[in-house]
Amino acid sequence: MKKQLLIVALLLASATTSWAQMPQDAIYMPKKTICAAAMYGRSNWNSYWENTLKRENFNIGTHTTQSASLMAAVGLSDRVNLIVNVPYIWTSTTAGNLMGQKGFQDVSGWLKVNALQYKGFSVHGLVGASTPLSSYIASFQPMSIGMGARSVAGRVLLNYKHPQTGLYLTTHGTYTWRSTIRIDQDSYLADGHVYNTNEVAVPNAMDAAVRVGILRRTFQTEVFAERFTCVSGDNIRRNDMPFPTNNMQATTVGWYGKYQPHNVGFNARVGYVTDGQNMGQSTSFMVGLLYQINLK
Amino acid sequence: MKHINKALIISFVAVAMTVVSCDKTIEEPQRVGYTPASVDDKAGTWKTYVLTSPTDVTIATPSSTSSAEYIAELTDLKSKAANLTLEQQQAVVYWGAGAAYRWNEIARELAARYNTPPASNAEGKYPVPDAANPLADPKFPFANPPYTARALANLSVAQYDALVAAWNYKYKFKRTAPSKVDATVAAALPVSALPTYPSEDAVVAAASAVVLKAMFPGEVTYIDAKVAEHTNARQWAGMNVKSELDAGASLGTQVAAKIMARAKTDGMGAANNQTLTAGMIESAKGRGQTEVWVSQESPLRPPMLPNYGAVSTWNFDRATLVALRPGPAPLPGSDQFNAELNELRDINKNQTREQARIANYWADGAGSYTPPGHWMRSAADAAHEAKYSEVRMARTLALVGTALQDAGVCCWETKFYYYTPRPQQYGVKTSVGLPNFPSYTSGHSTFSAAAATVLGSIFPDRSDEFWARAQEASVSRVYGMIHFRSDCTAGLVCGKNIGSYAVARGKTDGSGL
Repeated sequence: MKKQLLIVALLLASATTSWAQMPQDAIYMPKKTICAAAMYGRSNWNSYWENTLKRENFNIGTHTTQSASLMAAVGLSDRVNLIVNVPYIWTSTTAGNLMGQKGFQDVSGWLKVNALQYKGFSVHGLVGASTPLSSYIASFQPMSIGMGARSVAGRVLLNYKHPQTGLYLTTHGTYTWRSTIRIDQDSYLADGHVYNTNEVAVPNAMDAAVRVGILRRTFQTEVFAERFTCVSGDNIRRNDMPFPTNNMQATTVGWYGKYQPHNVGFNARVGYVTDGQNMGQSTSFMVGLLYQINLK
Repeated sequence: MKHINKALIISFVAVAMTVVSCDKTIEEPQRVGYTPASVDDKAGTWKTYVLTSPTDVTIATPSSTSSAEYIAELTDLKSKAANLTLEQQQAVVYWGAGAAYRWNEIARELAARYNTPPASNAEGKYPVPDAANPLADPKFPFANPPYTARALANLSVAQYDALVAAWNYKYKFKRTAPSKVDATVAAALPVSALPTYPSEDAVVAAASAVVLKAMFPGEVTYIDAKVAEHTNARQWAGMNVKSELDAGASLGTQVAAKIMARAKTDGMGAANNQTLTAGMIESAKGRGQTEVWVSQESPLRPPMLPNYGAVSTWNFDRATLVALRPGPAPLPGSDQFNAELNELRDINKNQTREQARIANYWADGAGSYTPPGHWMRSAADAAHEAKYSEVRMARTLALVGTALQDAGVCCWETKFYYYTPRPQQYGVKTSVGLPNFPSYTSGHSTFSAAAATVLGSIFPDRSDEFWARAQEASVSRVYGMIHFRSDCTAGLVCGKNIGSYAVARGKTDGSGL
């Protein structure tokens, strides 16, 4: 135990530049360094899009999803990083009588590769995958903590960073394949058809984003716009509940920032959904504690 | 290190590809046609529900199979059964699974599509669905469990009465199947010894269409298209000449008109009479019900069909219904009540995944075909697996369907007689969604026990299985935290008694089954 504490102390003392990074940026952990992050997130909505109809629901009031996640970004090499995230999620409402759900959601992993670097320009390829960590109930929307599907994603990320000022522009696009799921019911209605089975198709999804910001040695600040859309799926029926087959869409704008002068740092994100379909108009924020471990 | 990275990327992609199958096609259990275990040649004498005699309805005498008229029909049939498109072949297989089987399935789908409660408007009111304007918001009908129980009961009774009449005429006229008259007619489906005039498929399609158009008036075009496909499929399959289909359509329409004449006077028109609730609450309080049911929705939603308990029953009379009503529920504040409330509070704190699974499996809430639909599916599947003839399938569905509606009527009468509060009035949450009507007794329990009792009588080898399912459906409402345990146990007992009346009818309907 004493030895471990000593190692931690040595690691803290040996701090140099810190590089906490995400699957949506062009930042890499150097070889043999790990960034661990503990994050808390909270997302609220009190209106949502039932199909395209924007509405409130007096029997939900404000819907809240909270999450506590542990993330690690590992520098396999200076140009290849592995990012793993494990979230614990819980939901609640301020009105009505639907029981909140809680549990470990989906473990996700991204492998991020800096494929091309030319002066300030860079091209990155990412492959991601996720799978549920528990048998949480996906069909109890909007209280469910997730969709219950396994997924595989491919992402291309382009970045330009002005070397002198740290000003950068990032854009990326993703396609996510999602598996079918098994629900507790032995039939369900989707797109006007009663499926006499417990197998449900969760639609594949695409997303795209543009980010503008400044990245310096100790801090990062950016504004972003993200667009998420399923490539198929049905709509929430009039005055009915959402379901995993829904074609969910959202446009989100927000800000992300990070301050990490040494090994210990912080990050934060706020997001606001400006437009959507079959989803809540959420306002979300996240704060995280970062800690960098150098194995060199 | 580069090699390690490359290997890692490749293995990462490989794992990713195996965890997600790219195929999103949902495989549903496929049902196909069969030669019935028995053609039930005496079914023309079975007791009907609404018809007083098969001869209440009439069809034209068929021409002889040696007549020029029939031979022309055969020629027409052969041309229609030749060179089928893939779509036509699929229609043949689909409808070949059974006429009553498929129309019951269609009815369940319609029920699910229409099973959403109206939204509140800007004035904080819930507009009542309008049968004259069925596709406006809110759509008509709100196919909730009582509505769906009645729709499925009337559908099954129409199919059954029409098929009994059809069997009568089939054995009166003894028309041989086209493929047996002319061996060059290629029948795509199993051909039994059953005479083919009138076509049982056309009978069921026409009878079903009349009932379903009345129950789902916004779906006339959809239902007409299904009827056309069904009757066409009989020709694509080489199973029926046109005169057999025409006679069947006529007979089915005539019988269903009689069923709908009964339905128009069964009291459903007054089932949503909300002016009665104040008196119901007063009466319940007068009987000692200290705390009564209050809607837990915002804005307060009027209760679902408070006068459904006055709708006509199928298998017993009004005096029997009153005698079937269980005694009162434990009063709020009593030791029994508190113990049952504490049971729900414990589940609220520590619901197990298995309890949640059972609650979800039987939830059959908004957007579903409701508990009556769930049990009709079980009934149709059991009869299909037992290779029942068309008329015996319809008999099974009518016995179960009428028992389910009787259960609904009896349960609703009990609910609004006692007007007891829901657990949510004491701070308990739910994992399945809260129905908007009084608690005691549980509809799921009553429906399920009635259906399981009837099914256990028809399929004695499977009676334990059906009863275990009814018990699970019943307790699922405790696990979902929307019913006290007494609601469920009393509902089970009452449902079992209700089912016994349909069983008794089945024993004396002349089928010998």
